Amino acid sequence: MRKLLLLFLGVLLAIGQTYAQSNTVSGRVTDTDGSPIPGATVAVKGGTTGTTTDNNGSYSLSAPSSATLVFSFVGFESREVQVGNQTVINVTLQSGINELNEVVVTAQGIERDRRSLGYAVQSVSGDLISQRSEPNLLNTLQGKLAGVNIGSASGAAGASTNINIRGITSFNGNNQPLIVVDGIIFNNNTDNTQNTLFGSQPSNRLSDIAPETIESINILKGPAAAVLYGSRASAGAIVITTKSGRTMKGKTEVTVNSSYNVQQATGLPSLQNEYGQGTNNNFVPTTTGSWGPRFGTPGFETVVNSQGETVPYQAYPNHFKEFYRTGNILQNGVSIASGTIDDNYIATINSMFQNGVIPNSEFNRHSVAVGGNKRLTNGVRVGGTITYVKSTQQNTTMGNGGSAFGQITRIPRSFDFSGRPFQNELGRSIFYNPAQNHPLWSVNNEFLRSNVDRVFGNLRVGYDITNWLNVTYRVTADSYMDRRKLTLRIGSARQTQGQIIEDAIFNSELNGDLLITAQKSNFLMEGLDATLLLGQNLNQRDFQNSTVSAASLTIPGFDNVSNGSVFTASAETRNRRRLVGHYGQLSLGYNQYLFLELSGRVDKSSTLPKGNSAYFYPSVAVSFVPTDAFKLESDVLSYTKLRASAARVGRDADPYLLQSVFVQSTYGNNVASVTFPLSVGGASIPGFTPSTRIGSNNLTPEFVTSYEVGLNVGLFRNRLGLDLALFDTRSTNQIFNVAVSNASGFDTRTTNIGEMTNKGIEAVLTSTIVRTGAFKWDVAANFTRIRNKVISIAPGVDNSAITGNQFSGINPSIKEGFPYGVIIGSKNQRNEAGELLVNPSTGTYLPATAGEVIANVQPNWTGGITNTFNYKGLNLSILFDTRQGGQLYSFSMVDLRSGGHIDFTGVDRGLPRVLPGVIANADGTFTPNNIQIPAQTYWAALGGLASEGAVFDATVYRLREIALNYNLPAQWLRNTPFGGATIGVSGRNLWFFAPGFPGDPEVNTQGAGNIQGLDLNGAPQTKNYGVNLRFTF
Amino acid sequence: MKKVITYIAGALLLTATSCNDFLDINQTPNNPTSVPPSVLLPSALTGTAFANNNELNRFASTIMSVTAGAGGSPATYDIYNTNGGDFQNQWRFEVYGGALISYNKTIESADAIGAKAYSGIAKIMKAYTYSLATDVWGDVPYSEALLGDANTQPRVDKQEDIYKGTAQIQGLFDLVREGIADLDAPSTVKPGADDLVYGGNLANWKKAGNTILLKFANTISRKEPALAKQVIDEVLASDNYIKQNSENLNVRFGSSVGSKAPVFEWAAQEGQSFRNEVMISTNFVNLLQGKNDPRLEKFVTKPTGSYVTIVNGFRGTLPQPQSSWSRFSSYVTGAAGEGPVRLVTNAQRAFILAESAITLGTAGDAEALYQEGIRASMQAAGLTAAEITAYFTANPTEVTLTGTDAEKIEKIITQKYIAAFGNGLEQWNDWRRTGYPALPAHQNAVGIDGTRPVRAQYIDQEIARNPNFTPNIFSNVKVWWDVD
Repeated sequence: MRKLLLLFLGVLLAIGQTYAQSNTVSGRVTDTDGSPIPGATVAVKGGTTGTTTDNNGSYSLSAPSSATLVFSFVGFESREVQVGNQTVINVTLQSGINELNEVVVTAQGIERDRRSLGYAVQSVSGDLISQRSEPNLLNTLQGKLAGVNIGSASGAAGASTNINIRGITSFNGNNQPLIVVDGIIFNNNTDNTQNTLFGSQPSNRLSDIAPETIESINILKGPAAAVLYGSRASAGAIVITTKSGRTMKGKTEVTVNSSYNVQQATGLPSLQNEYGQGTNNNFVPTTTGSWGPRFGTPGFETVVNSQGETVPYQAYPNHFKEFYRTGNILQNGVSIASGTIDDNYIATINSMFQNGVIPNSEFNRHSVAVGGNKRLTNGVRVGGTITYVKSTQQNTTMGNGGSAFGQITRIPRSFDFSGRPFQNELGRSIFYNPAQNHPLWSVNNEFLRSNVDRVFGNLRVGYDITNWLNVTYRVTADSYMDRRKLTLRIGSARQTQGQIIEDAIFNSELNGDLLITAQKSNFLMEGLDATLLLGQNLNQRDFQNSTVSAASLTIPGFDNVSNGSVFTASAETRNRRRLVGHYGQLSLGYNQYLFLELSGRVDKSSTLPKGNSAYFYPSVAVSFVPTDAFKLESDVLSYTKLRASAARVGRDADPYLLQSVFVQSTYGNNVASVTFPLSVGGASIPGFTPSTRIGSNNLTPEFVTSYEVGLNVGLFRNRLGLDLALFDTRSTNQIFNVAVSNASGFDTRTTNIGEMTNKGIEAVLTSTIVRTGAFKWDVAANFTRIRNKVISIAPGVDNSAITGNQFSGINPSIKEGFPYGVIIGSKNQRNEAGELLVNPSTGTYLPATAGEVIANVQPNWTGGITNTFNYKGLNLSILFDTRQGGQLYSFSMVDLRSGGHIDFTGVDRGLPRVLPGVIANADGTFTPNNIQIPAQTYWAALGGLASEGAVFDATVYRLREIALNYNLPAQWLRNTPFGGATIGVSGRNLWFFAPGFPGDPEVNTQGAGNIQGLDLNGAPQTKNYGVNLRFTF
Repeated sequence: MKKVITYIAGALLLTATSCNDFLDINQTPNNPTSVPPSVLLPSALTGTAFANNNELNRFASTIMSVTAGAGGSPATYDIYNTNGGDFQNQWRFEVYGGALISYNKTIESADAIGAKAYSGIAKIMKAYTYSLATDVWGDVPYSEALLGDANTQPRVDKQEDIYKGTAQIQGLFDLVREGIADLDAPSTVKPGADDLVYGGNLANWKKAGNTILLKFANTISRKEPALAKQVIDEVLASDNYIKQNSENLNVRFGSSVGSKAPVFEWAAQEGQSFRNEVMISTNFVNLLQGKNDPRLEKFVTKPTGSYVTIVNGFRGTLPQPQSSWSRFSSYVTGAAGEGPVRLVTNAQRAFILAESAITLGTAGDAEALYQEGIRASMQAAGLTAAEITAYFTANPTEVTLTGTDAEKIEKIITQKYIAAFGNGLEQWNDWRRTGYPALPAHQNAVGIDGTRPVRAQYIDQEIARNPNFTPNIFSNVKVWWDVD
């Protein structure tokens, strides 16, 4: 560690040796039309000195004659001019972008030219994500990024969205990328109050950010960027920059934006309307199946329902439509921004109200933010932001069986869903199935409400000690309290006696970063630019969860914990972790065509064993621009860049894994259970038992090693650009709870084991197809293909379930030789040719074998293509994306199929059917199955909830997003207070086609996290569309 | 300039070295790392009660024709089907990872503070719980089990070695004896309400320990008659064993949510869907009706005034509505879940001694002991002394031991089976050991070869995790003490 510091200090001192005389240079920056460009950056290359142009495009700064000035502005190609003996330098900037000259934000907010980067960074500007009919920021990125998989849990209001960059790299750890908002490490947890198999779907906390407030998003894909951010960026980093006054070119601007969208449930399968409730062609009032007599069968004009009432026996065509409502999203925002790069402020207010498509659901978000930067006369730069957000969310519980969604797929076709009362005078459900609740009862009586108050902000103080050395200290804080209430009223399917839970979740993260930056042009030799960054990070993370659980309620409708009589499930969890990191990065650039970057970081973490808690990780990246090095630029070849990087990132453990502990004792499962303290004979008896996990004092960090090579090519005067990357990532030494023999008295042991690889290819293609006069047609496409493989787990352990809530027999798992997250369950028996074996005495499949891989949830490849058309003030953008391959495990479809509700089960129902498969003969040969079975048996035999019959192909083609905006011509606004006005319409998910699944396969009931690809009777997806307005004045 | 750099470097180095206290915060505030025996013992006792009374009871009561499967797993058990997917929770979290590890920790923490009373109880109950495991699964990990990190793949010990012990292994008999001896030793702390069985009455625990010795001896008596006789003689000589119902080894539960006995939740709890997976078997009702047994009314509910049951293995349309079904009465479940879970009873002791008097020639009058067992059971069922006497007077043949030894044993074990109502595992043990009572074959039986299971298959998870296990010892393979 100390050696490293000394080394860096040595380099630092060496930079100090070359210091020269300055003089004043001034001038004007204009565009090709001769108009001034206010707010353009004028910087001394390789130094920290710089200024911005004023409203007339004029500037003045002091620079040595040896210096090169760099003139840059967003949307223009930057230019470099040698100072020499000039005192006035006027510059004209060309609009249009050579991709290599684009400025991108990298780790720690450092702005870099794309040409110098040895690793992939993809940028998304704010105008591509705001006003897109979508309040969840991650969803607005869907289809736009290469190397990134984004999937939302469902269309439920505020439901979480999962994001993985370049695959899954940790068996057990958090695989969501690190989120950084204006330098603030931003918590993107998805906190669960209930078991995720049947809870409601809480938000991922990045949804506390309104898309309208964002200036740009830069996605740092590989772990190379992680050295500066620390371990958590080993899964990549999303660096978000919010709008500020920085780009206001000295003006003050007020922006008002509003949008109104409606939302509809989508992907709801068509149902048959020929046959009603019953089984084997008989009417049975309590059965979930629609295997009853055909409508119109004589003698079945009316039937007696399970309440004893005589009701007509007829089809009720679409209970889905009667259940889901049209949701709406109203969003309004005002911001005022002013200033220049050195002196600016912004204040914004945003509010969003969403009423979801599920009755009694909502998601609201209100935020206030202020921020500003100031360069004081003594040269000290100070800046900061602070944001307050209030988010509220309410959703009903989901899941198999006892929930609205567990029942909505089990509605017999002859059940009058909304025409009869769903609850009685005592407030209890009235339903055809007395053991379950009417979905309309459930949504109104079983729900979780989340109420988040969040504050995050930062404060930076920086000082240029000399013109080549800057010291900055930055403190960031992000803290939220989520005060939740789970209401399960008396009669709830999973808590028949009712339960109220008050659940307070607190998360806070503090970071202190010292950043010392030294940079020098012509360092040691002509044409060599050097930048050295030294940093120190102090980090503290606190988590607290206090739960008061009141079960066994007495007074109907009184939703208060004082109404409970059993409080044993109350609990408290408190975690604190700290980390001290020291890091350094040396960047060398030679004549703007050859770049080398060396980084290293030492972390010392509180969660690792004392005396063994420090770990080092390095990265190296190179970038080479042959077009500049060999002057290859032509009308055909605009630019090329080759890049390569290698990085190794360490990741510490979660807190408190080192010890073996005792836990409050519980026994049982869903059949029967107890929780201590027991109340026995009037006494309360506490009970503790050893935790099922054995701790380890020998834990070491887990590591991800990554190699990346990439190519950027620009052709035909930048009309066509390609950014291609190949990567190979190896995760080793995983911190994992390995299964042990239960006869040891324990279930798992925490240890370092295993190996997993990700190999992938990602490509971004950008092209201007047509550019004639006012008309412009641009295409941006991306492609991602990732191959993940679990190489090994632990000696003697071939597979292990992923940590999280699981149904037994349907286990998202890691398994040697398979991709992460495969589902292990029961697989039908097959012969060597792969043909399904049929039982000759029943005509149905032979009993399935447990413990087999039945689904791979990872896609084969994904891609997106955006077409953008511009004509004068009119802008139309259309995004199609696709996910090819990968599988979904769906309870919902099995319910609809085996229950005889879905349309195709009504076709030719009277005719016997034959299952595809073969029958084994005594001599070892096979005959094709020819045993006829009734339709009900046939559709049930295709598979129940726990079978491979629940696995579907998740391939989908989708019109993800469409947006049409019109900027009102300036002359129309001349007599108004408005400086600009935009009116637009937009829509999301308006169309999709899923060839292998009768619904929308983009659902995952358990939400963001490592378990993916399960539809366990969760909410469906939605389509949104609406109008939006933006005014500036 | 250099000064600045020196300051910065100094500050960096300072934080690098002074961060040890800053980082020394990894002691969990959420869980204790050591706990007193008074919180371990109730957890352990509850674990044993769960092992006996939860899923293994759903299984054993069903294959013993006491209950019949109406859905879910019980319907599978009812046609003799069981495989390595069954009883995973029982093995993992009730037996080894529940009761047994908690008894071990009770002993450790009690010995550390000289609380021998806790050690004694824990040793007796650890032996009982191991006997449950080996009776169900046959050979199981024992001598190398419960060692945590020290042995994550313990070997499988033979059932014979577990019961009898070897030169290296302390057997279950000796473990119980050691527990009884601990109860005689001075103890710094003694249990009270945390003893969910006797409320801290150590004298009763000694009686329970000796009665467990009788039960073990009885279990192995056909394989090892000499050893069984020796143990029974030893207990009889001590004259300190369960002699009245109030001394029964019953684990008590409560009536509030989360405190209820498992059988209440799976068989009686209103609104619990699992309740509708079992009902009482027609076979059981017929057996008691055939004997005019007044306990039937006490044991089995009849919501409609008559018994609504199905025969075992029935695959037709179930009687409707489900609320009419005959189920376990509050004798088994408690009025609102209190149980108790009866692990070792006075009646059971009397039947053991009656059987031993005939088969092993141990002291005591077989018929007197047989009648004592019936009386004890009837009394526990809530019959008055007058009602019991009336039954004895009206049914002299039933309460008298006549005929061959085999006929006598059949009577004893059949009455023991009735007395053990609600404890399927003990019924199954006796049936496997003696072949009694004679139970009609279940309809639609499948199983491995159409016969009633005589063991549980090892759980798949354990086989996957521990290479010492032989897969596929199916449920038709007898355990060591099951001689025929």
